[in-house]
Amino acid sequence: MIRLDFEAPLARFPLRIRADLGAPVTAVMGPSGAGKTSLLDAIAGLRGIASGRIAIDDDVLVDTAAGVRVPPQRRRVGYVPQDAGLFPHLSVRENVLFGARGATKEVAHAIEALEIGPLGGRYPGNLSGGEKQRVALARALATRPRLLLLDEPLAALDVPLRERIVPYLLRVRDEWATPMLYVTHNVGEARALAGEVLLLEGGRVEAQGAPLALLATPGLSREARAGIENLFEGVIVTHDAGGGVTRVRLAGGLVVSVSIAAERAVGSAVTVAIRAEDVLVATEPVRGLSARNVYEAVVRGIERGPGDAAVRCAVRPDLQEWLARLTPAAVAELGLVEGSRIWVAVKSHSVRLASAPPRREAKAAAPGTAAP
Amino acid sequence: MPTREEWAVVLFTLRVAALGTAMILPLGVAAAALLAGRHGPGRTLLDTVFSLPLVLPPTAVGVVLLDAFARASPLGRALAEAGIQIAFDWKGVVLATSVMSFPLLVRSALTAFEEVDPRLVGLARTLGCGPLEAFFRVTLPLAWRGVLAGSVLAFARALGEFGATVMLAGNIPGRTQTLALAIFHEAQIGHDERARVLAGVTVVLAFVTLWSAEVVGRARTRRAV
Repeated sequence: MIRLDFEAPLARFPLRIRADLGAPVTAVMGPSGAGKTSLLDAIAGLRGIASGRIAIDDDVLVDTAAGVRVPPQRRRVGYVPQDAGLFPHLSVRENVLFGARGATKEVAHAIEALEIGPLGGRYPGNLSGGEKQRVALARALATRPRLLLLDEPLAALDVPLRERIVPYLLRVRDEWATPMLYVTHNVGEARALAGEVLLLEGGRVEAQGAPLALLATPGLSREARAGIENLFEGVIVTHDAGGGVTRVRLAGGLVVSVSIAAERAVGSAVTVAIRAEDVLVATEPVRGLSARNVYEAVVRGIERGPGDAAVRCAVRPDLQEWLARLTPAAVAELGLVEGSRIWVAVKSHSVRLASAPPRREAKAAAPGTAAP
Repeated sequence: MPTREEWAVVLFTLRVAALGTAMILPLGVAAAALLAGRHGPGRTLLDTVFSLPLVLPPTAVGVVLLDAFARASPLGRALAEAGIQIAFDWKGVVLATSVMSFPLLVRSALTAFEEVDPRLVGLARTLGCGPLEAFFRVTLPLAWRGVLAGSVLAFARALGEFGATVMLAGNIPGRTQTLALAIFHEAQIGHDERARVLAGVTVVLAFVTLWSAEVVGRARTRRAV
């Protein structure tokens, strides 16, 4: 259990966090500038706090009332930043060994689990983004941390590469009993990895809960939703290599075309992610449009903000809720109101397949089987 | 070609410059490390003090040093009682050239330290390093090129120092006479030919110094990054 109850000054507002995090992986989400990285820095000891307490179980890292401030080097908190933060003057092996201090078994385990053995003699300058992240993860694990902080470890990678790294993260989660705080903008990642989401906004905890439940939280502010996508679970039904599309049947029966993903077997479970910005809205049945996915829907609500509006709509046949982000001008022009009958359209290229949420069996299985 | 006496002057000059640079290297690195990443009035004050020798007339620095280290001063007397003479001795040459070249080293090292990504230093801390260990394992290895460049500049500056040296150590042939002083001396007594030969030697020395530093810096760059 990670116990956070502290206040730290930031440039624009104070960071005021009060939360107990008990999940093996907690996703930290929220708009840019909400204080996510500052939260990680405060836990790692790289940013001082003004008052309060941070503890892992009963181990106090900092407690201003008791005058306790454990310096970063004695917190045993592993940190993987967005850009991996490898030491450029050291080889991969030297990076991994940097903080290991004789933990030979952990080093070997980390190198093996992240499959970076063959990279040993290379320098960070010659590594791909995905390799860098794996090395950074191994470097953190080699110190036997009791908490791992991951700051958008996949943000710098393109989508196919992300999907190749996620299995390594799952493997780390399942093979090491180290709790993780995982900063991400990507709900797909949060769902694949995290049991709980901590949603920050303006330096405060806006909400805390299960990833999907959080999406439905009424009154969740528009900013906090920013970047949060439409997410649906589904099963792959066919691959149409000639047409370049893979069809996925969502839980409610809706079939969605996505760019061909032949490497995923027919019948395998996937999570479908669609950015709210990528959903087109029409007020008449759509014809002659290149978008592969067009569905009838009903507007359930419109949340207006400065510069854009989020349209919540129930998509037929099963009335699953989708979020479409439009400009206020478009909402006005289309005359959208609650109850409007609309058609939503999405290009198959705009539909992403995230890794399916892990199954309970995978967690209990032997080490190594969590990754393909 | 230089005469045997002139070669002795060249060697003496190289020796005092090397000794002076070696002496100020740890001090300059420490000073730069303490200043790096700090802001505020203290930093500004120290920055200014360290930079004074760059802008003061070297003879003025020499006068200050002479006042501090002459036998009449308390410091000079204490040193003399310990058997150490600074003024009008080769040690005075080392001191004068060191003081004059110190700011070049500090400025160069400071810039290099401040270019190191503070996030990397923070990561070293999370990987178990105390501040000093993080400095020696991350900051210094990443900034060594700037430290080297500063040392080379300091060494080159020491090779050519004139004003402070002549004030503190005098121009005593065979005892405190460096190349710069010898050139002046030869020109004064009308040996223009000798002055020209010695000037040629300084050009070669300075060139070789700067050029080898450049080569070393490049070679390491290619390998590590």
